[in-house]
Amino acid sequence: MSNMIIPLLRNEVAKATRTKLPYFGFLVISILCVLIFIVTGSTLDGETLNAWGYTCLSMQLVFTDIGLICLAVFSSMLIAEETAFGTVRAVLSSPVLRWEFYTAKVLTGLLYAAAMSIISLIVSACLGSWNFEFGDVADSMGLIYSNKEVFVNFLLAFFLSWIPLASLVMYGIFISTIVRRSGQAVAVTIGTIYLIDFTKHIVGIDSYIFTRYIGFSWQVFNQVAQGVDYHWRPQVWNMIAMSLVYCFVLFAAGLTIFSRRDING
Amino acid sequence: MSTSNAALRLDDLCKSYGRIRAVDHLSLEVRAGEMAGFLGPNGAGKSTTLYMTSRLVHPTGGEIEIFGRNVWSDFKSAIRYVGTMVETPSFYEYLSARKNLELMGRLRGNVTERDIRDNLERIGLSERQDDKVSTYSHGMKQRLGLGMALLGRPRLLVLDEPTNGMDPEGTREILSFLQEKVRDDGLTVFISSHLLYEVEEYCDRVFVINHGHLISSGKVKEILAPHENVVLVSFGGKPPDTEALIKEEGIEHIEILPGEVFEITLANRDAAWLNGLLLKWGYKVSSLISKRKTLKEFFLSITGGKE
Repeated sequence: MSNMIIPLLRNEVAKATRTKLPYFGFLVISILCVLIFIVTGSTLDGETLNAWGYTCLSMQLVFTDIGLICLAVFSSMLIAEETAFGTVRAVLSSPVLRWEFYTAKVLTGLLYAAAMSIISLIVSACLGSWNFEFGDVADSMGLIYSNKEVFVNFLLAFFLSWIPLASLVMYGIFISTIVRRSGQAVAVTIGTIYLIDFTKHIVGIDSYIFTRYIGFSWQVFNQVAQGVDYHWRPQVWNMIAMSLVYCFVLFAAGLTIFSRRDING
Repeated sequence: MSTSNAALRLDDLCKSYGRIRAVDHLSLEVRAGEMAGFLGPNGAGKSTTLYMTSRLVHPTGGEIEIFGRNVWSDFKSAIRYVGTMVETPSFYEYLSARKNLELMGRLRGNVTERDIRDNLERIGLSERQDDKVSTYSHGMKQRLGLGMALLGRPRLLVLDEPTNGMDPEGTREILSFLQEKVRDDGLTVFISSHLLYEVEEYCDRVFVINHGHLISSGKVKEILAPHENVVLVSFGGKPPDTEALIKEEGIEHIEILPGEVFEITLANRDAAWLNGLLLKWGYKVSSLISKRKTLKEFFLSITGGKE
C-alpha cells in the first residue's frame, strides 16, 4: 500500500487555500512589515542602518510577536478542528494510518511557517531596499564584511530561524491533539506560550525554552549588519539542540496520544 | 464459525470504558452479498462496534476481519473494501460537495472525476454540487455521507443509522437504493438501526444487540415476526358486537382504537382463524393485519421481559 502522506498534504493545501485564516496571517505580517518600515523610516536613516540591518530588524520583530501568534493559531487548529467537526472520522475511515495523518498535519504546519517566513522576508527586503542599500558593510575605516559574506550569513540566519519555528509548530499541534475544540486549543497554546515567556526568567528556565531562540539567528545577523564582531557558536548549538529536542519530544508525545485515542463522536 | 464468504467477521469483540462494558464478547458474521441489520436500542453498543470496524475505537479484546483481512494487522488492505458512515456524517462545511468527494477520493486512491460525477448524480446532488456543504439540509448531508461511503466502489458498506433525521420518502429512497446495490452489484451492507421496520423491510438477516452482547440473530422473517396473537381489524360495514364476540372461545381481549380499528387479542389462535370467524358471523372485513411489534415489545419478547 502506498504512503498516504502526499495525498493528505495535497488535501491540506487544498483546504488551507479555501479558508481565510492563512491569508489573514500573511496579511497581518505584511502590515506589520509596513508599520516597521514607516517607524524606522522616520527614526533611522541610511547612515545608521543598511538594508541588511533593516530586514533583520523587521524579521526579528515579526516573528517574536504577531508572526508567532499567527503561527500558533494556525498550528493549534490543525487537528482540533478536524476532531471538533468530526471530519477526522471520515479521513481515518479511509486507508490512512494515524501516523500518516499526524505527519501530514505537521508538514502542513511547517509549510505554513516557511511560507510566512518567506513572505515576511520578501516584504521586508523589498521595503528595505526602498530606503536603504544592500551591499558591503563598511565604516569610515573601510570594508568590514563583504557583500558576499553578509549574504551568506543572512541566508544562514534565515534558515536557522526556521528551527525554533518548527518547535512552535510542534507545540501548537501537540496542544491541538490534546484539546479537542479548536478555540480552546488556540487559547491554551497562546496562553501557555505567554505564561512561560513571562515567567521563564523568574524561575530560571530561560535557556530551556524554545521561544527564547525564535529571534536568536536574527540577533547574531544584526551584529554582522552593524559591522561588529559576531559569533554563531556556541549559542547556535544550544538553539539547534534545544529546538530539535522540543520538536522530537512534542512530535512523539502528540503522535502517541493521537494513535492511542478512541475517535468516537 | 468463520466461513469463506464472510464480508465482516467479529470474533469475541470487547470494549470497555472503565467499568462500563460497551461491547461484551460480541461475535457475528455478515455474509458477502447480503444486507444485514444491526438492531438495538440507544446505548446498546451498535455505534461502538461500528467504530471498531474502522479502527476508530480500539477494542479491549477480540478480532475483526473484513473479507478475511484483519483490521488491526492489515488495516489498509482491509479498509479499502469498506465504505463507512458512522453516526452523523461530517464534512468540510466550507467546501462544496464535489470538493469534499474529491478530497476523500484522493485518499481512496482509485476514484476518478467520472466516479465523483456519477456519485453526485446517484445521490441526487448534481445540481447543488458546487454549493458549500454548510448550506445543505440535514437530508442532503446524509445523502452526501452515503455518497462518500460509496466512493472507490467498496464491497462492504458499514452504515450507522444512515436515515437518521430523514423524511420517510428520503428514507425509502436510500434503503431501496442500497437494496438494489446488494441485488445487482453484490454489495454487502451492514446497517445499524433502532427502527424495527427499517430492518424488517430491507434486510435479509438481523443481529440484535443489547447491553453490548448479541441477544439474537437470524433471518429477519424469523426474528422479527409480527405478533402472532394480536390482530388489527377494520370493518367495511356495521362494526361487530364486541360483547358477543368476546364470548367466543379463542378471543381474549378486544380494544377499539382510534379510527374504528379493532385490536383483537387471540388465545392460541391465528389471524386466518379470526378472518374465518368474522366471515361466518357475516361481518364485512375491509382489512385484517397482524400487529407489528414495537422495538420495546420486541426486546421484551426476546429478553423475557428483562430490560
